[in-house]
Amino acid sequence: MIFIGVDTGGTFTDFIYRDGGEWGVYKLLSTPSDPAAAVLAGIRHIAGSGHVHIVHGSTVATNAILERKGAVTALVTNRGFEDVIELGRQYRGSLYDLAYRKAPHIVPHDLRFGIECRVIPDGTVLEGMNDESAARVARQVADSGSESVAVCFLFSFVNPGHETRMGELLERLGMQVSLSHQILGEFREFERTSTTVVNAYVAPRMKGYLSNLLDSLDEKDRLSIMQSNGGSISAHAAMREPVRTILSGPAGGVVGAFEAGRMSGFTKLITFDMGGTSTDVSLLDGAVSLTFESSIGGYPVKVPMIDIHTVGAGGGSVAFLDAGGALRVGPESAGADPGPICYGRGTRITVTDANLYLGRLVPEYFLGGQMRLHPERLEPVFRKMSAAAELSPRELAEGILSVVNSSMEKALRVISIERGHNPQEFTLLSFGGAGGMHAAFLARLLGIPRVVVPRHAGILSAMGMLIADIVKDYSRTVMLRDSRPTDTNLEELFGLMETRAWNDLDDEGVRREAVFFQRSLDMRYRGQSYEITVPFAPGYVEEFHRLHERMYGYGSPERPVEIVNVRLRAGGAREGIESDVQEKVSTRPDARVFQIGRPVVFDSKVHDTRIVDRSALRAGDRIAGPALVVEYSSTVVVPPFAKATVDGCGNLLMDIA
Amino acid sequence: MTMKIHPVLIEIFKNRFSSIAEEMGVTLNRTAFSPNIKERRDFSCAIFDGKGRMIAQAAHIPVHLGSMPLSVEAAIEGADFEEGDMVILNDPFKGGTHLPDITIVAPVFAEGAVPSFYVANRAHHADVGGMASGSMPLSTSIFQEGIIIPPLKIVERGDIDWKLMNFFLNNVRTPDEREGDFAAQIMANRTGIARMKELISTYGIDTASFYARSLMDYGERLIRSAIRRIPDGVYSFEDFLDDDGAGEQDIRIRVKITVRGSEATLDFSESHDQVPGSVNAVYSITLSAVLYVFRALVKEEIPANAGCLRPIKVVTRKGTVVDAQFPAAVAGGNVETSQRIVDVVLGALAAALPGEIPAASQGTMNNVAVGGFDAVSGRVFAYYETIAGGMGATARSNGESAVHSHMTNTLNTPVEALEYTYPVRVREYSIRRGTGGKGVFQGGDGVVREIQLLSDAEVTVLSDRRRTAPYGLAGGEPGAVGKNVIISSGVRREKGSKFHEKLKKDDVIRIETPGGGGYGPATPHRSTPHDRSNLSS
Repeated sequence: MIFIGVDTGGTFTDFIYRDGGEWGVYKLLSTPSDPAAAVLAGIRHIAGSGHVHIVHGSTVATNAILERKGAVTALVTNRGFEDVIELGRQYRGSLYDLAYRKAPHIVPHDLRFGIECRVIPDGTVLEGMNDESAARVARQVADSGSESVAVCFLFSFVNPGHETRMGELLERLGMQVSLSHQILGEFREFERTSTTVVNAYVAPRMKGYLSNLLDSLDEKDRLSIMQSNGGSISAHAAMREPVRTILSGPAGGVVGAFEAGRMSGFTKLITFDMGGTSTDVSLLDGAVSLTFESSIGGYPVKVPMIDIHTVGAGGGSVAFLDAGGALRVGPESAGADPGPICYGRGTRITVTDANLYLGRLVPEYFLGGQMRLHPERLEPVFRKMSAAAELSPRELAEGILSVVNSSMEKALRVISIERGHNPQEFTLLSFGGAGGMHAAFLARLLGIPRVVVPRHAGILSAMGMLIADIVKDYSRTVMLRDSRPTDTNLEELFGLMETRAWNDLDDEGVRREAVFFQRSLDMRYRGQSYEITVPFAPGYVEEFHRLHERMYGYGSPERPVEIVNVRLRAGGAREGIESDVQEKVSTRPDARVFQIGRPVVFDSKVHDTRIVDRSALRAGDRIAGPALVVEYSSTVVVPPFAKATVDGCGNLLMDIA
Repeated sequence: MTMKIHPVLIEIFKNRFSSIAEEMGVTLNRTAFSPNIKERRDFSCAIFDGKGRMIAQAAHIPVHLGSMPLSVEAAIEGADFEEGDMVILNDPFKGGTHLPDITIVAPVFAEGAVPSFYVANRAHHADVGGMASGSMPLSTSIFQEGIIIPPLKIVERGDIDWKLMNFFLNNVRTPDEREGDFAAQIMANRTGIARMKELISTYGIDTASFYARSLMDYGERLIRSAIRRIPDGVYSFEDFLDDDGAGEQDIRIRVKITVRGSEATLDFSESHDQVPGSVNAVYSITLSAVLYVFRALVKEEIPANAGCLRPIKVVTRKGTVVDAQFPAAVAGGNVETSQRIVDVVLGALAAALPGEIPAASQGTMNNVAVGGFDAVSGRVFAYYETIAGGMGATARSNGESAVHSHMTNTLNTPVEALEYTYPVRVREYSIRRGTGGKGVFQGGDGVVREIQLLSDAEVTVLSDRRRTAPYGLAGGEPGAVGKNVIISSGVRREKGSKFHEKLKKDDVIRIETPGGGGYGPATPHRSTPHDRSNLSS
């Protein structure tokens, strides 16, 4: 069996594989109109006719939402609440926009079907669902031209009877159905409906894509899909609950980054993935951190996802002077077209241009020298804009970098300091095309003592997919309000979830002895509206007070607490994958060493700077700043205030003075 | 000290100041107990310089824009601040807005005995006592609206003054919640102080103060550039509040805007005298509404700060509904009158900037307060919510349906959260189709919210636009007016804009909110005269 991790997220479809004792990587240009083409071509190249187990990070669900190319979707809900999906939380996303518009609705008005039935908070059926009306509504849905249907009734997570009944009727008519209590068994009807509707919206697309892939594989091959929560599930489970895969690629990146950091001995990490238009950051305190408050394309999706914070600043972000005289960078991006000035067609200065202007990008080695840069195009534009800003061109270039670093610093502060973590206890792990040019500066801004730039940063995401555990998340709102609910009560609740988890993991092919369970509780002080997730272990109430104090600066042990949700994370380790991936992957053979002294600007002074070929570095090599470490798809800037070493697994470690 | 403004540092300081204010807001939002704060985000956090001038406010609620500085000014006056002190206040005639909005101000010491900066936050508490649950009553005097707190130290050198706190808590209906909210507010300020000190230690007090001042100049430049786009001239507009809930009807708000170059004077002197009912707005609210409109004219992200107001002069006559004097009732001035002030300022500017100004949005916040004793839980409860409506259409697109507009931007409370917590059942929550004004572009639709009581309770509704409709523009039709209905034992009774009533278990309150105005004539090729007779430029 050949194990293959496949990430289709970017320009390239990345493969990382293990065949017996051999590891390898492979890259192919992505085929956006039919992503499966590149995936299958790569698999054939790697495995020939051998059997494969593929873990795939799919962008099908994400793109269906962002490009609004999902299925025609209907919604069945309580009569009188058909518009909840459109009402949302009734606020406008932009306070001062006099022409504010919401994201367009996934379910148009005429595809929302109300039916008379009602459950109240304690699970009592206040108004039953009439069989005839239910059958009539099901028929209307089937005749409406919808390809997929979401069913969401108030308090269905307490008493799912009506949803289950309606689901059966719809399935009998051949509809693809998503039931809210199965997708997200938690209170707050808008968020639950939205999550369920998004699932329904992408399900037919995901099913089509995965069926197609499965058809092209042998029966003995296995296909798993990366989820947003950092674990994988079988293709069949992903077809039912595709909403769990919308952050597939970035989640693979974080899991891969965690693994890369762990290999170098660091488990308290802040990942920093800076790309062309945006930057993703995530904090890992010994494990990936999850959030239950995400959204995509303006639609809330509350299934657990790796907590990734995104800021609209990247290498392509455009710099400009605003009417008040401040230098601004982004969020507008030059994108791939026209791209930065130095790519040949752009006319407005980007972050990449500023790096090049200061000498921090080396044109000869940009993408291995395959893409020609045009540094000569920069000078006139920098002169013109710097005159307007009353700065020297060099000050302008450094200023642009300071401004973009300050927006990324803000993102890093949000995930660390604002959540009660001291960044000085963490290591910054940088990946993504532009990250290496900024990481050392950001670390200095936040007092982070060390930066790790992993080897194979370009295939980190595929690697994360390959090594990810199989993970299933379960949750249910219970709203236990006694100040100290009996633990027996909770044991029962977890017991029910675990029974379901055993079955699901069995379907996933996990051996019983490989199964692990993590139980946790979402808790808050009675009367609050935001919960903190606390591991379910003896002393969990005290732990809640402690976490509240860490996050918000105070705890109130005298106040009653309530348990809002119970959560179970169930999983099994991937079989046949040891975690020595990184050491085993062979490097590119044609190592080159450059020792050219090059002028690079740091702190408004020109420094004679060495250029080092990353692929030629060996364990134990030391590089004192200033230096540029270049590789195929990225450049690591080692500023004068930093020193870098190469560790045993090929990762570059930078100490920040 | 002379320092040159560096275009890079000014951008960095702008980011840092605003993220400090935002982080204060996160603490407050996530730990508070009042639905108004935790679900509806009816609060604001801001940073001030040593003279009490606002440097940055997190983009929370516009109605606090112009009024926070006056609170800080009142708190500073006479307070002999020491490290760890915090001053509390809600007196509308000493820097407040209406009594439920409680502001807590704290100094940031960098060097010397005088504070270098202040941080402050204001939050709308669900109850501050007075004649009605929820403290948004149909009152005729400030004394009926709740407990009045003049500027007083609630925290002294880091310790809460429990005498003062207990005195306050004994005067409100839900003291446990209030105490939790105060803890959240105090902690939000502590977060702000800690971050300000970090900033000062990184850049030094001189640089930090210099850029605080520079940011005000920066805000001023951006607002001036927005005003410069308005052709010089005089633009007038008037509109009306339905009533004051105490018998006074058709309460006029009138503005005359004079634009000269990069400066604007807004004269509200011809507005209605202050009224017996609770729709009187204190001056700071009028200021907030004006600042909101001019801030919205600037397309770029800018900090809302003291500099933004420099090119704008707001003239009022004391003793009017836009500059109420003690002891006027003011509970609704903040929420209802503020919306109408925005309507008239935008209405006047529509003549100056054709195509850029939208038709009127719903023009009310539809405040509903429900309070009583919940027999099942054995607890007193006080619930308050505001309901969205239609936004006005613009020259380029339809108005959005079912969102809060202009001076508020609070969230709804989810039906399931509401029913878990209070003895109520929601029977309908839907979009009120067809209520947006017709036009080339349609106004947004309003909302229907129907709530059944599961225990006896008193209900206060403070709303408007039940008689005078949100105007259309450029020939567009007005949005539909709202409707307030009570259904007891199957019998429907339509109520006015503002009412207070003791209701029985099983009674139903049904609120239908207004639509937004349309833009451009609904029927093509048939030009209609200018849409509103009250347009009098």
